[in-house]
Amino acid sequence: MDLKRDPQDIYARWLGAGAWLAFALSLLALFLYAGGVLAPFVPLERLPQLWGLPVERFREQTGAPTDWDWIGYLRYGDYVGLAAVCLFAVLSLVCYLRVLPAFLRHGERLQAALVAAQIVVLLAAASHLIPGAR
Amino acid sequence: MPVVDAASAWWLWPLALFVLAFFLGIIAVIAGVGGGVLFVPIVGSFFPFHLDFVRGAGLVLALAGTLAAAPSLLRSGLANLRLVLPLALAGSICSLAGAVIGLALPVEVVQTALGVLVLAVAALLWLVKGIGHEMDVESDELGEMLRLRGTFHDHAEDVHVDWRTRRTALGIAAFGGIGFLGGMFGLGAGFANVPALNLLMGAPFKVAVGTSGLVISVINSSAAWVYIGRGALLPIIAIPSILGVILGSHLGARLLRRLPVAAVRHTVIIVLALAGARALLRGLGIWI
Repeated sequence: MDLKRDPQDIYARWLGAGAWLAFALSLLALFLYAGGVLAPFVPLERLPQLWGLPVERFREQTGAPTDWDWIGYLRYGDYVGLAAVCLFAVLSLVCYLRVLPAFLRHGERLQAALVAAQIVVLLAAASHLIPGAR
Repeated sequence: MPVVDAASAWWLWPLALFVLAFFLGIIAVIAGVGGGVLFVPIVGSFFPFHLDFVRGAGLVLALAGTLAAAPSLLRSGLANLRLVLPLALAGSICSLAGAVIGLALPVEVVQTALGVLVLAVAALLWLVKGIGHEMDVESDELGEMLRLRGTFHDHAEDVHVDWRTRRTALGIAAFGGIGFLGGMFGLGAGFANVPALNLLMGAPFKVAVGTSGLVISVINSSAAWVYIGRGALLPIIAIPSILGVILGSHLGARLLRRLPVAAVRHTVIIVLALAGARALLRGLGIWI
């Protein structure tokens, strides 16, 4: 039962399951994207002329979205791939949210406060609220 | 002889990335250097991608590689969540600043600084031979409050190891600096995490390697969002690298208990020296 488990065990279990889910979805996304099942926003044949450009020039040439605007492009193979990659970036946040109540149940308030602070940092980063990150 | 043009042969590069990332995944876990420190200078110097995209992929590669290995390291006690909490918090705050500054600097400056950093890492790994297990580490007050202690079974020597850490405040400050560099250059920065945990804080080497991976997974999660928000994460570069490094690091985590760490470290030092020299020469405009 999770109620009696050490937060470290819970973290390991959720991280393990999440990492494999993200791995499987990345594999599927690569198949859909590179296999041509879903049409990409930027044609694969154009990429060799574009991937050597700085990111600002890449965006100018392709009209690629920034921030969370890519969510509106999920019908394209490349952005399904980006969504799969984002799963890896969101996994730590999910695991921290999961162990926060576990630390509180164990009476480890200092650890719970560190977990809560880390959740705030991860949420601020994911919401692109950091000055200069946009 | 048929000529393959660049447009129709686009798939060759992702395939090469997958193979490279697989081998990096194996040696990164064993050497405890993080995949990014090898990936970014090698791919940034020898592949046709702009450094912006290489750094974005490097961050998620280091992140994915450590995520794959972390659960088994946590269960075996070789990674410690309570030790990760303060270090990752300081590191992730500073990594956001590093990512923002890194993306604002001219590419030649970043390439040159990356070359210098990677050569310094190679020198550090070469010079620092004192890594091992220090017995009777006295815990400080902050370390006691944060419960920075643990236990694990060392299969190589068949002994049960109880450990504690020291110099907690200094360790947290060190991880702030390491996080900044990681965010700026798109690295996992395991090369610095391991000595900071082992030599500075007194954690056993295997705990330092295992915990370093978990710290990287949290720190890079923060910095990765800066690159995603800027559009500096190309799936065609990132996904093959992630898949390769996950498979490789899974194998690396199994080999960690059996392989001689010294032999792997020597290989890593040579690769780092070559990739660092190439990045430096490219940044200085000597060898484009």
